[in-house]
Amino acid sequence: MDAMAELTAEQGYEATKIADIVRRAGVARKTLYDNFDGKEEVFLAAFDSAVTEVSARIEEACADIPDEWDARAAAGLRALLTYIAENPATARMCLIEAMSATPAASVRYEEATTRFVALLERNAPVDTGLPETIGETLVGGVAWILHQKIRRGEAEQALDLMPELLDFILSPYHGVAKTKR
Amino acid sequence: MERLPRGRHGLSPEFVAQNQRERLIAGLTEVLYEVGYQKTTVSLIGGRASVSKSDFYKHFASKDDCFFAAYEAGIERIRKVVTDACAGDEKSEWSSRVPMGIRALLDFLARDPALASLSLVEGLRAGRGVYDRYQAAVESFVPYLRRGAPPTPDGDPVPAATDEAVVGGIASLLGRRVLAGEAEQIDKLAPDVLEFALTPYLGATEARRIISAG
Repeated sequence: MDAMAELTAEQGYEATKIADIVRRAGVARKTLYDNFDGKEEVFLAAFDSAVTEVSARIEEACADIPDEWDARAAAGLRALLTYIAENPATARMCLIEAMSATPAASVRYEEATTRFVALLERNAPVDTGLPETIGETLVGGVAWILHQKIRRGEAEQALDLMPELLDFILSPYHGVAKTKR
Repeated sequence: MERLPRGRHGLSPEFVAQNQRERLIAGLTEVLYEVGYQKTTVSLIGGRASVSKSDFYKHFASKDDCFFAAYEAGIERIRKVVTDACAGDEKSEWSSRVPMGIRALLDFLARDPALASLSLVEGLRAGRGVYDRYQAAVESFVPYLRRGAPPTPDGDPVPAATDEAVVGGIASLLGRRVLAGEAEQIDKLAPDVLEFALTPYLGATEARRIISAG
């Protein structure tokens, strides 16, 4: 799965062949087919595993700060950006390639977005009177900024985005939510 | 689009060619929305546009070529709707100009789900290699938001990333609704989208006042 991430980041999903994956991973072709049906299965498994990992890291970071929304948002965002900076190839695979690799991958991408929306909503202040769609627009906006950073080849510098993205995430809540709960 | 009359009609060849091209673009947009990219064929596009297959290839090298042309044309139509909504009012306040642009955008997309799907879903998610075009299209709406934007309620300038994230966030929400088959109800999102777009600049109270004033 790591080989998949590296290769799709380097050359895109379409150009990545099973032969490339087994060579990069140093496993036999048979081993790959014992574990996966084919290229798409490897891709989807790598995607799922990355999404699970990064969600867990965000949840963990947020759980450390139960009382203050501003600080919790900062911790969650920092966990996300740190993951991207440490795993640029995986970040590219999940945020860029997944949208268009295959129809199943783009469904998975939308489901992952929904998961991050739920994650944000679980951690954000309640009873704010903000639109029901606020989580979707915030997650979509953050993803958009991340896309551009990654496409510029600057995933390793993702943490540079910390101040502006945090400001963006918090701005709707100013004045309508207590920052503590 | 209506096809032109057959036989002698006194229309210039350039006019006929331009009309055919526009019909093919409209045809692709509709067929794409109905059957998806994989099942969209040159024959289906030609059939919908009442243009023969050989005439299709006079205008476009391939289905993809037609797709790219349709994408560009679609974005141009959307941009025109937004600029027209703002432009009649060039001198007016940011706080009235931006809501007019956003409402016009949502109304237009709700009335034309095929165009909404082409511009918001196919461009980004369906792997047509149009990511750069999608990005450029989304980026091109950022200046409408940025121009004349007020500082935050605290008096600080709104960071450039916020302008971009607001536009990207709106595009993402709309794309998700189109994917969910709710393109025709996109206009109902106006209060949500407006609050999301205005709040970083005006604060929640002022944003809500403007939205409820319509």
